[in-house]
Amino acid sequence: MKEIIVVENLQKHFRIAKHHRGPGGTFRNLFSHEYRLIRAVDDVTFRVDKGELVGYLGPNGAGKSTTIKILAGLLVPTAGNLVVNGYIPWKDRKTYVARIGAVFGQRTTLWWDLPVIESLDLLRFIYQIPKDRFQENISEFRQLLDLDPFLDTPVRSLSLGQRMRADLCAALLHDPVMLFLDEPTIGLDVVAKEHIRQFIQHINHQRGTTVILTTHDMSDVERLCERVMIIDHGKLLFDGALEMLRRRFGGKRRLMVDFGEVYPEIHIEGAQVTECNGQRVVFEFERSTITASVLIGRLSEKYRIQDLEVREPDIEATIRRIYEEKLLDL
Amino acid sequence: MIHNFSLYWRLIGVQIRSQLQYRLAFFLDVLGTSLITILNFATLAFVFQRFGSIAGWNLGEVAFLYGMVEAAFGVMDMLFSGFDPQNFGRQVRLGRMDQLLLRPLDITLQVFGSEFIMRRLGRIAQGLLVLGVAIAMLDIQWTITKLLYMPVVIVSLVCFFGGLFIIGATITFWTYESIEVVNIFTYGGSEMMSYPMNIYQNWLRQFFTYIIPAIFLIYYPALYFLDKPDPFPMPGFARFLSPVVGLGILWAALLFWNYGLRHYQSTGT
Repeated sequence: MKEIIVVENLQKHFRIAKHHRGPGGTFRNLFSHEYRLIRAVDDVTFRVDKGELVGYLGPNGAGKSTTIKILAGLLVPTAGNLVVNGYIPWKDRKTYVARIGAVFGQRTTLWWDLPVIESLDLLRFIYQIPKDRFQENISEFRQLLDLDPFLDTPVRSLSLGQRMRADLCAALLHDPVMLFLDEPTIGLDVVAKEHIRQFIQHINHQRGTTVILTTHDMSDVERLCERVMIIDHGKLLFDGALEMLRRRFGGKRRLMVDFGEVYPEIHIEGAQVTECNGQRVVFEFERSTITASVLIGRLSEKYRIQDLEVREPDIEATIRRIYEEKLLDL
Repeated sequence: MIHNFSLYWRLIGVQIRSQLQYRLAFFLDVLGTSLITILNFATLAFVFQRFGSIAGWNLGEVAFLYGMVEAAFGVMDMLFSGFDPQNFGRQVRLGRMDQLLLRPLDITLQVFGSEFIMRRLGRIAQGLLVLGVAIAMLDIQWTITKLLYMPVVIVSLVCFFGGLFIIGATITFWTYESIEVVNIFTYGGSEMMSYPMNIYQNWLRQFFTYIIPAIFLIYYPALYFLDKPDPFPMPGFARFLSPVVGLGILWAALLFWNYGLRHYQSTGT
């Protein structure tokens, strides 16, 4: 079995009661039966193969978390088919969740007042993890996640970064085949983020664990995901390789050049000058019209170049364009 | 099943250990609850000093009711603390339910194991103390059946109050605002049951006979223990309905709870 997730025409609708405001409103709310229908997930179809690391992106309220919650067995979908690791998550919840791991945003799954190590030991009991397997995993994660400094600290006294590391360890002790991460790097500093990313990548590469992660942080995506899915208003807008996203909607690339001298006028075919500051000149060019190497070749024929740098359009801007302009109908 | 049971003890163990980290708070709290119980009882004693008896019940007899209800409510409040609607509703709002659903365990078991308020031991001890004083004051004609029936009644009360907690917790899946209504039933109910039912107005007593049959839980058993005549036209077996009502309410509450869980999973919050 190569596919681990099969999602077909998934729908999730919420009925939100209309709220009336003011003192009379509270009273009316008690009897009010007016509802607004929200299509949090609207006809979403995708497949994920074993061992993939997929970034699931979208603005707030786009339906990301709802999808993840359905995939993790927490919510029952309104309609559509869904099979993960051979199970229908919401139907076979207990058997299913024993084989997955999840870390949901800023909420810990650990026991607030217990030292980290005792929480982990309790999880060993809950998931009935064989003792030697547990020891192996613990010693590996201790090293990878640098857990030692706070293993005996109660969870309530951990910093956000430490807590996230402890939670990641907790989510992986029972060797899950799937890992769901909802905003794993939110609120962390750059160093901590990088640490977490390295760990996620390690788990995906070394253990072959399939990972689905939602994030707001585009550097998470650029660093980790080969494949991205973009959802907005409950609909899947894009599903494909990160590279393809860049190529199709990437916008303009930039070339920054430091010339050997100041040229009064620079013209080059296939690129526009957008900034000119003494010897430093910035060009913009389309990926489809000209490659970076051809452009650099043309430049160096005519001018003396000291240094240069090519900048890819950042994914954040790309995705923002997709949201804002609804660039595509797949 | 065995796994579930030992798991329950482990989860409870966690709660106990974390509470022992705050030893001073624990003792202060036990002291606080003791004082409240003693004050309540003192007020009661003063009232009786003035009036002698209420509707044919003397101080010892009322203390007997009061002690049983207090002890049972304390036991319930400790065992079922995870379902305390106030607390549970807040947990639901904070998204705690998602974490419970993520574990390969029964949800009900996890809620039972999610809270165990040890300081309720204070309330239980006070209840038992009042009960002991009452028994010493009264001249109860003990028989084997009475001795055996006594713990049954306490367990039935625990089931009844626990059922109310579970119903209240379930309601918070839909609305958190009506929590006060539920509290009226649990706390008001325990307060009401601490007094003989014949002091209440007809409609109120009818309500607690036919709608929520709380009257059979403690009032009728008390008539039996204290060999008091039944002021209402009820058949003799009414005195032994306590476990039927207690278990019945708990069973109905668990059905409602499971229904609420399914609803929660299909709507989320």
